[in-house]
Amino acid sequence: MSTQTKQIGKYKVEVIRDKCISAASCVAIAPKVFALDEAEIAIIVSQDGHDDETKLLAAQSCPTMAVIVTNTETGERVWPPQGED
Amino acid sequence: MHKYIAKLEEKLQHNVKYTQFSFELIKPQHLEFQAGQYVSLKVSNKGERRSYSICSTPDNQHQFDLILDLSPGGLGSQFLQQLEFGEEVEVLAPMGQFLVPEDLPADHLVFVATGSGIAPFKAMIEDQLRNKQDQRQITLHWGMRHPEDLFWLDEWEKLDETFINFHFHPVLSQAPPAWTLCRGRVIDCLSIHARPANAAYFLCGNQTMIADVSRLLIGQGVGKELILTEKFY
Repeated sequence: MSTQTKQIGKYKVEVIRDKCISAASCVAIAPKVFALDEAEIAIIVSQDGHDDETKLLAAQSCPTMAVIVTNTETGERVWPPQGED
Repeated sequence: MHKYIAKLEEKLQHNVKYTQFSFELIKPQHLEFQAGQYVSLKVSNKGERRSYSICSTPDNQHQFDLILDLSPGGLGSQFLQQLEFGEEVEVLAPMGQFLVPEDLPADHLVFVATGSGIAPFKAMIEDQLRNKQDQRQITLHWGMRHPEDLFWLDEWEKLDETFINFHFHPVLSQAPPAWTLCRGRVIDCLSIHARPANAAYFLCGNQTMIADVSRLLIGQGVGKELILTEKFY
């Protein structure tokens, strides 16, 4: 029997651990994508928990630009803007 | 959490560091929130956002107030400083879980703030006293450096006079000789005053204060579930 996975949207998010200051604004905006681990550093719990707009808002809310958003269809980095990380 | 458009209605500069910003909601025109929650403001055309605690009480759903220490001059401070009256901002709200839980098993609520960490406490304490008629003892310890940094003193004193269960303790780390109240850090102020029985603690401010006070309280036997925190960065 084959299984299928459904991806919501085309944005992939990553957290740069060294930049995370535990502000948790990403968690507040997209709690089904981000969580804090035991060290209070943001981690990804699912790429599919929220739509692209919410994932991008969560990344834009990070005061240290610790969240990177990539368009998986084009490979383009959506956030932070190039040269601003 | 939803997106809102709000416009700047009023700017009130309390002193050289702290300015209060009042926003009127445009679309939608009502914001339901709980005291202690915050908003995320879009502060650049690129899309960068910054979070600020709401310092007004939730009974006014047509507007919200923020208080900022503008002296660090960061992105959000610069944006708000340059914002003109009537200009619109994009807001995500309400956000956060730093609330006074309704079922909190405590007889005394102790609020400990440094700097603009006082913002959510303005909303929470007024909401508990005025809107919820909370009869429990409520104490506020607020740490600042200089007397000229303090603001809302009339409001705190009025609450102190109106509600016999409210107690206000400002503490200055660089107090002048004439200062008769607490000196040092808020943790020194907490150490001077007798620790109330069966109290819950709300800590808001810089990370060092939160870590130090949490360690002190846990060392004194206060349960972790009775220490609620919100870090400002």
